[in-house]
Amino acid sequence: MNKIRNLALSPVIALFLLVTVTQAYGGEKRLLFHAGLGQRMALNEIKEIFEKKHPDVKVNFSYKGSGYFIADITRSKQGDLFMPGEEFYLLQAVERGFLTDYDPETDIPAYFVTVIITPKGNPKNIKRVEDFAKPGVRVGLGNPRACAIGIWHQKTFKKAGIWEKVKENATMSAKCIPELGNAAQHRAIDATIVWATTAVLYLRDVEIIPIEHTYRGIIRLPVGVLKFARYKEEAQKLMDFILSEEGRAIFHKHAYAVNPVIPVDKQGFCLDATTDQDMEYLVNAAKAVKDESFQVNEKTVGDLIEEVLREKKTKRAGD
Amino acid sequence: MALGSRGGWWPALCVGTAGSILAIYVLLVTSNWIYLGWHDTLYFFSKSRMWERFWLTVWTSTISTSFSLLVGIPAGYALSRFRFPCRYLIASIIDLPIVVSPAVVGAFLFGITTRFPFDWISEYYGIYIGRNVYGVLLVQFTVTAAFCARLMKASFDMIPTRFESVSRSLGASSLRTFFKVVLPMAKNGIIASMIVVWARAAAEWEGLMLFVGATEGKTDIMPFAIYLDWNGGMMGWVTSMSIVCILMAVSAISAMRMIGGRSSVW
Repeated sequence: MNKIRNLALSPVIALFLLVTVTQAYGGEKRLLFHAGLGQRMALNEIKEIFEKKHPDVKVNFSYKGSGYFIADITRSKQGDLFMPGEEFYLLQAVERGFLTDYDPETDIPAYFVTVIITPKGNPKNIKRVEDFAKPGVRVGLGNPRACAIGIWHQKTFKKAGIWEKVKENATMSAKCIPELGNAAQHRAIDATIVWATTAVLYLRDVEIIPIEHTYRGIIRLPVGVLKFARYKEEAQKLMDFILSEEGRAIFHKHAYAVNPVIPVDKQGFCLDATTDQDMEYLVNAAKAVKDESFQVNEKTVGDLIEEVLREKKTKRAGD
Repeated sequence: MALGSRGGWWPALCVGTAGSILAIYVLLVTSNWIYLGWHDTLYFFSKSRMWERFWLTVWTSTISTSFSLLVGIPAGYALSRFRFPCRYLIASIIDLPIVVSPAVVGAFLFGITTRFPFDWISEYYGIYIGRNVYGVLLVQFTVTAAFCARLMKASFDMIPTRFESVSRSLGASSLRTFFKVVLPMAKNGIIASMIVVWARAAAEWEGLMLFVGATEGKTDIMPFAIYLDWNGGMMGWVTSMSIVCILMAVSAISAMRMIGGRSSVW
């Protein structure tokens, strides 16, 4: 009969344990940070530094694809900070009243910049956006309903007046941006446009071609404190840290553009040479990872140096 | 059953088909392993991050499996032995989490964890229910509990009711009969089912994706970590962790076959 009593008791014991553990948890302030999957590497670094500076605050991320967040936040009404992979998703949250004090002037720590990537060796000799319309080029496009890059593909090629031709060339409709990176890496497509932050993950297996200013998209990446944040003060501190010079520098290491002001036109295309230096670093980084004799230093690859060294360590990207 | 005999082409075809299915899977694993290369295999397998994820997966699935068993054994026994009203309806409802996508489970868990009394607990202790490792356990348990009950029913169905009748006719109570007669006889089936449930819990990620979200090193069990790294373009991690997952699954299934013997579910 002892066995039975034990069996009957175990849920009680489990519940007791749960309560004890939750009580132990209760002592610390744990921020819940809804963040886009793409920002993972940069935000993990930021979290570590922030937690060292504020030992009583812990940051818990909820990394997901940006499309999942609105449903999550609507349903759960939980979370302290929100940093999706496109302003669009944050504006949805603003519209629903989850964020009240979003200021597009000041709340942008970093930007995505669009670049062309092709498989190693650039087999179809792609040089400019117009080359995507050449017959026989297998183009990877994103599905505009599923991911932000798809919207930018449409915008870019429409601006260049080649959208119809590019659509004919398209051989894939990706649901998220890594699909495009993987396709280029495995030579399933000849060319595509992705963010610089995505391109930097595939340095070993792709070529990077910067886009001329007229077609270079600059995508704002906002961060905001949610209305129902449990620890408003701490959340604000973390947001301020993300927006500080130190925070931005971390984003810069992962190929985000971090200039406080990047002049853009109404559609979000680049107007001047502000991001040119970053593009040069990126192209050099791609060379450096592939070519052992290429000089890797601050001058050639800028802040991307850590990323380059990380990718040189293994044959397949990782660390 | 010599292959050359009359009508021998049929078994040959069947064996051939089985062989080609096997070949496809073996090819999948080996080609990926070759893609990874020996140097990178050693590199990734020696990283602590790999084994932290591994242990996280192992202990979370072990705990959720034990809770599932606690619920699944009595539930399975009831479904197998007792006749009660709406039995089929109840059985079908219990089957639901097996047929519907775990994503649905993940989405529905929001509904319960943000309502009374959970909202009160979360407010009182200042925690977010479901955004930590307990969320992982909750999703795993919800998905596997029904599965477990189903498999337990199968194991109990395998045991003839005569033994129970005899035991009871000799004066043992139903409870004593259950623990002294039924449970020992169902032992192999239970262990086999347990391993399947465990593997199912370890493979869960859709529900996690919706309900929990990943925190590095806290809630990202293997399948979820693979998804995260795939999004980060870290193909080396993706490939090496997939290989670990496959090795885990293969050992679980073989263990099930060895222990379960004839009473294994398949």
